Amino acid sequence: MRVFVIGAGQVGTTIVESLQGEHDLTVLDIDPTRLTPLAYRYDVATVEGNGASRRVLADAGVRDADLVIACTSRDEANLVAGTFARIEAPRTTTVIRTSNVEYIDLWREGRLDVDFVVCSELETANAIVRVIGVSAAVQTDVFADGQVQIVEYDVTERSSSTVVGMPLREARIPGDSRVASIIRGKEMIIPRGGDIVHAGDRIVVIGSPQAAQAWGELLAPGEQEVTDVVVYGGGAIGTVIARQLLAQRIGVRVIEPSRERARVVAEDLPDVRVYNTTGLDADFIERERIGQAQAAVFAMGDDTKNHYAATLARARGVSFTIAIAHEPVSNAVFELSGIDVTVNPRQVTAAEIVRFAHDPRTQQVALIEGDRFEVLDITTSPASEYVGLRFREMPIRGALIGAIVRDGRALFPRSDDVLQAGDRVIVFTETEKVSQVEKVL
Amino acid sequence: MTRRTRLSRRAQHGRIAVDLRAALGLCGALLRYLSLAFLFPAVVAVYYREPFWPFLVAAAATAVSGLALQRLGREASGVGVREGYLVVALTWLLAAVYGAIPFMLSGNPQLDRPVDAFFESMSGFSATGATILSNVETVDQSMLMWRQFTNWVGGMGIIVLALAVLPRLRVGGRQLFESELPGPEVGQLAERIRSTARRLWLLYVGMTVVMIVTLALLGFVGIDHRMGLFEAISIAFTTMSTGGFMPENRSLEGFAAASQWVTLVFMLVAGVNFALTYRAVVRRQPRRVLRDEELRIYLLLLTLASVALVTQLWLAGIERGEAAVRHGVFQVVSTMTTTGLASVDFAGWPILALTLLVFLIFIGGSAGSTSGGIKVIRHLLLAKFLHREVRQTLHPEEVLPIRLNGVPVEERTLRAVISFVLIYLGIFAIGVAVITVDSTIQGPPTSLHDAIATAAGMLSCLGTGLGLAGPMESFARYSDISTTTMAGMMWLGRLEVIPVVLLLSRNYWRV
Repeated sequence: MRVFVIGAGQVGTTIVESLQGEHDLTVLDIDPTRLTPLAYRYDVATVEGNGASRRVLADAGVRDADLVIACTSRDEANLVAGTFARIEAPRTTTVIRTSNVEYIDLWREGRLDVDFVVCSELETANAIVRVIGVSAAVQTDVFADGQVQIVEYDVTERSSSTVVGMPLREARIPGDSRVASIIRGKEMIIPRGGDIVHAGDRIVVIGSPQAAQAWGELLAPGEQEVTDVVVYGGGAIGTVIARQLLAQRIGVRVIEPSRERARVVAEDLPDVRVYNTTGLDADFIERERIGQAQAAVFAMGDDTKNHYAATLARARGVSFTIAIAHEPVSNAVFELSGIDVTVNPRQVTAAEIVRFAHDPRTQQVALIEGDRFEVLDITTSPASEYVGLRFREMPIRGALIGAIVRDGRALFPRSDDVLQAGDRVIVFTETEKVSQVEKVL
Repeated sequence: MTRRTRLSRRAQHGRIAVDLRAALGLCGALLRYLSLAFLFPAVVAVYYREPFWPFLVAAAATAVSGLALQRLGREASGVGVREGYLVVALTWLLAAVYGAIPFMLSGNPQLDRPVDAFFESMSGFSATGATILSNVETVDQSMLMWRQFTNWVGGMGIIVLALAVLPRLRVGGRQLFESELPGPEVGQLAERIRSTARRLWLLYVGMTVVMIVTLALLGFVGIDHRMGLFEAISIAFTTMSTGGFMPENRSLEGFAAASQWVTLVFMLVAGVNFALTYRAVVRRQPRRVLRDEELRIYLLLLTLASVALVTQLWLAGIERGEAAVRHGVFQVVSTMTTTGLASVDFAGWPILALTLLVFLIFIGGSAGSTSGGIKVIRHLLLAKFLHREVRQTLHPEEVLPIRLNGVPVEERTLRAVISFVLIYLGIFAIGVAVITVDSTIQGPPTSLHDAIATAAGMLSCLGTGLGLAGPMESFARYSDISTTTMAGMMWLGRLEVIPVVLLLSRNYWRV
């Protein structure tokens, strides 16, 4: 597939990283200093120029592209680039990135002539809200209209001994679910019946939403339902997070240091309690009982502030902290300080966009552990060598089928079930093996 | 004239930053059109074979003065925000002054002193309804109809009327409009201020006509044998404007219960924001209108006060049955909408009942209605503000926008409401002091309670006091100092204080 990427910022770079192996890429950016490292590291074509110029796009060969991704940091540039690409190459799939929820609404109404619009703020908020919805989860994603859930958990000493410390075949695993992977440091195991989950591991579970909930209770017993979440930062992302949490009937408190911005948030969201303060002074934290919040989200624009505030909140007793990292290097720092979940809006956006570069049979992709693993939602072709095999007969090649969707209903296969042509399968695999998996299925 | 020469002239004249000539010019134009109002009572005079020349003289004087002012001033294009306040304040003062001319020429000893005539005229235009006449029934019918008519014209507003009917008066429209129409927030009915003004006046005229027909029918079918067309028109004029003048000595006492009920209902409607009534009646959205916060509180307060008063009357054995309900509710509605009509002489009611009524004076009707007073919406916003202050002591960092009908209210509006209430109470206190001191020196003796009721009644354009100036009495016995003060309070009250107070500040006149 020929992919045309406009914008070589963080999102663009992440997209290039995950697509460069399998696809022919052309990357376009106005700033040559961003293109050079990409050109040296990967086998991609680079073009220096303004993506919002029709002539530049035509000269760069946008007409031959199968997929055009406009992912600069400027909404308007993306919109114009997407429109020009559509004019130059009417059959190309166009995806544009935006940070404005209004454009998403406009696109849903069919008034934007592009195929897909991906909103960083919305994707980030969704990722965070999903994590808050499932206790103990590090990351989670849903497939098949919410019938199948992929959850990444941290296993701790407090986790129930009915699943930890014994071979998986003896463990009392919640029904309709299976452990797709055990991550132990740098090592990743696709487990079989004899493997054991230990405290300190990180595991990936594929299962029904009920099973995901049950896993959460097993791995982090005693955590109640979330009713009080504090969001630091009332910017675009913070506001969308607050809105999504409210939609789940979770009480939200927003802390915003700018007076004008705090007023805007308070006016827009009547059900949110908004504080106009940095939220960092001890007196405030004590008086407003910030420590009693069940979760805190740090959605300020500055990683160092998020880092400090999150660490302070942890010190004050907040048990579950989720921080937004704008710089890729921050992920490691946040993790080292004990922040439970780190979300990088650009990575989330890139993951969302990368989905469109997959096999057309592939419906959805989730990235896990940065971009180490992917979860694919793929329809089996009748020509596949796996069709007609029992699950236990399938040779393991670094991939695992977590669930199948047959006639619109999700099934969680047992070892004797048979894969049929036309089944949609939810596959967990390493990123390098994605095209291989797509091929065999 | 170029801008530069105008500026240099201003510099010569002690650096006055207000474009006086533009303001006076506009006042002149308004005055000229006001002269037409005198034709209505003139027609009535002809019909009753009474002297009609006082009205024609007044009309001529008004028209000539208007023209002279227009000559003196420039064309209205220079009227900006600053000049607007002056125009509003001055127009109302001039309307009262020129409106007093027929009274001065009436030859009736109760009215022909300029001070008394001015009091009566100001009371009319401000829709207050306080009268200087101890015996109304000796006055000519045409003079009485002029009083009623001033109520009616002043009720919806001279400038709103001018905006609605005069083609050329478009300059500074919104600001003129807002300083005349009561309340901090008036719902807009159309994009253009002129169409809004026109719709308000049409609704006003429409409701007045419906009321006249209803009352006249009651008289025609014999339910109320005292109700003729003259009475029906008089009552409708004074009810829709929440004025309170009556061409009778004893207000509505002599009319049938049915007429009093009809009047009560129309008073109730006149105390509601006209924009809401317009939406409910013309656009047929009664449900949306009923969700309005101010309307709900308005109706709630009226209900609570009515229940309290009726219960008292019943228990004290003053009234019973239907009469107790009617008189209780009538007085509550009349007081809260600052109409000032009375269905019965309540001066002798127990002090608790009277105190309840005095409280209602301070509440007032709704914003955008013809009623006066502080208004329900300001009380509502003030209550929300105080509630927030209490909550804020515990959570100083919390941002709590105050909402009205779900829409956030600007902090500036809140500050304006608080300042308004404080200035209002300050002027009220001054009024109480003047009336009390003056009555001690020059008589008649007035108790503090009566002085409070009277001052509040003047400032809120209610028009009835207690004691000496009770519902069936007049202000004839008060000295000229007191009556002039009262007329000033009506002026302040009708324009909601700020446009007049602003004129007293140095900042207004300076750059």
